[in-house]
Amino acid sequence: MKKPNESVVFKSVSGIVVLLVVFSAIVSVIGYKGFTDALLEQYSDGALLIADSAALSINADEMDSYKNSGGTTAEYKEVWESLDNLCNSSGSTFIYIIQPDLTDFDHITFLFSTINKDSPYTVYDFGYVRETTNDEYKQKYRALYDGTSSHEIVIRDKGYIETDAHITAMISLKGSDGQTKAILCVQRQMDDMTMARRGYVRRVIFVLGLLAVLVVIGQSFYLYRVFLRPIQRITNEAGRFAEENVIPESKLTESIRHKDEIGVLAGSIDKMEEQIVSYVENLTKVTAEKERISTELALATQIQASMLPNIFPPYPDREDFSIFASMTPAKEVGGDFYDFFLIDDDHLGMIIADVSGKGVPAALFMMASKILLENLALGGLEPSEVLTKANEQICKDNKTDMFVTVWYGILEISTGKVKAANAGHEYPVLSKNGKFEIFKDKHGFVLGGMEGMRYRQYEFEMAHGDTLFVYTDGVPEATNGQNEMFGTDRLLEVLNAEPSAMPKILLENTAVSVGKFVDNAEQFDDLTMLCVKRV
Amino acid sequence: MIINKRTEGSKLTIHIEGRLDTATSPELSKELETALDGVTELVFDLTLLEYISSSGLRVLLSVQKAMNGKGTMVVKNVSELVMEVFEITGFVDILTIE
Repeated sequence: MKKPNESVVFKSVSGIVVLLVVFSAIVSVIGYKGFTDALLEQYSDGALLIADSAALSINADEMDSYKNSGGTTAEYKEVWESLDNLCNSSGSTFIYIIQPDLTDFDHITFLFSTINKDSPYTVYDFGYVRETTNDEYKQKYRALYDGTSSHEIVIRDKGYIETDAHITAMISLKGSDGQTKAILCVQRQMDDMTMARRGYVRRVIFVLGLLAVLVVIGQSFYLYRVFLRPIQRITNEAGRFAEENVIPESKLTESIRHKDEIGVLAGSIDKMEEQIVSYVENLTKVTAEKERISTELALATQIQASMLPNIFPPYPDREDFSIFASMTPAKEVGGDFYDFFLIDDDHLGMIIADVSGKGVPAALFMMASKILLENLALGGLEPSEVLTKANEQICKDNKTDMFVTVWYGILEISTGKVKAANAGHEYPVLSKNGKFEIFKDKHGFVLGGMEGMRYRQYEFEMAHGDTLFVYTDGVPEATNGQNEMFGTDRLLEVLNAEPSAMPKILLENTAVSVGKFVDNAEQFDDLTMLCVKRV
Repeated sequence: MIINKRTEGSKLTIHIEGRLDTATSPELSKELETALDGVTELVFDLTLLEYISSSGLRVLLSVQKAMNGKGTMVVKNVSELVMEVFEITGFVDILTIE
């Protein structure tokens, strides 16, 4: 058995794995985003809270004096201390107060700058000026100075190289005149968040990966059990059956007990195998029977043929007459027969007969008739007596209304005198002076048809060179494709073509002529002829 | 072969058309199996019968024998060709031909 190149399980499972990967990617993205948003909100709220509390210790109106203090006055230091404490206690990374240049916000000046002592960074010195980091900061600074907002959040969360992810909360420090005097910023690192987030994504991937593996194993196992294994069994069974053609030891439905389509398929295969096997058995039986009948019929054909005189010339040492006969059955066995025998040295008995119907029933009837007639004839009875007695015998046991037409004649060879009787048989054809003509003889009823029939005898003479031709209805009634019959006219035509030919030649010519006439049409009736010529 | 049957009381007329040979005779035989019950006058009209073989003759013989005890059987309108068969086989002696 050829193994399939692509397993159904592989296809099905790989489909599921792809689905899982897509699914886990979507879940990861959604989770990542949700997680980030939640944490950022928390971080920014915290940072803003710290900024607000830091602002409490600062009087914005004093900003100019701080600026001018050079970072050395006691007031300045007091504020710085409180900011520094807040920075360390709140876990912020960086708390600072800046003043951007108010023309284009390109630069910022650090007034206060405190840094968590655990962080790796160093503080900016008082009055340190640097470029604004980017446009986002610039816009936010501007907004805070415009008064369009009082607090802003900047998030840097994109894996920057120079700084870790961090969040900066900015609030405006407003003087009593309502003007923004400076910006207070609280920067918090988001290490924890990125760590947590990374952990989250890893967990999701791990769980989903684990799930994928479990699904692959589970689905493979499930598919193998409910789907592939039964299908394989069915495939194997079908292959086995195709080669062996016998019912399996155990049926498919014994091992495949599913009630689903596969179960139905298994049931169908079981049923199909049973039916095929029984069909084949039946066919084998019928074929064997047919062969037996055919053999028997072939044997029957031989037996029937051997019952009739079939060695020609039958009397090679007799030069005073020549006789020839033939029988061609339409089926394996026929109902026609001819017979001839020397009753004594000077008397030749000749019989031609035709049983009604064809095939085996006719052949059986023919055999009985042939034996009966020959026995009666060899007893030396006159033709009319032979037919009368034969009729009595046949009628006595004839339950089937079958009958046989018989012409029986005895030729006295030395004188050419023929004594004959006809029981419903075709008219003989006789050649006198080189011309064949139908001899309308006296007819009695067929043999076996009706009890108590009498058969009249008649006589005629055959001169030297005269020929007698008798035949069964298979000759004149041979039918061609156009449903035309050969007829006695065509028969006479053939015989008169060579009227003085020997019996063998006359019979052969007739057979050829009938064959040509019938052409491709099936031989429908037995074809039997007997011809005797007085030399 | 076409078989037409017409019943008038106890008289049954059978028209046979076509060829009555080995192939078609069993059909006629079967038709007649049941049709003869209560028939005392049987007529075969053979106007359209083209051909009769020995198998056909056998059916006629059986029917004739069946009718012998219970009524009459007449064969009429026999064509020349069929008549020749009746003559050759001696059926003219046992059938009533009109």
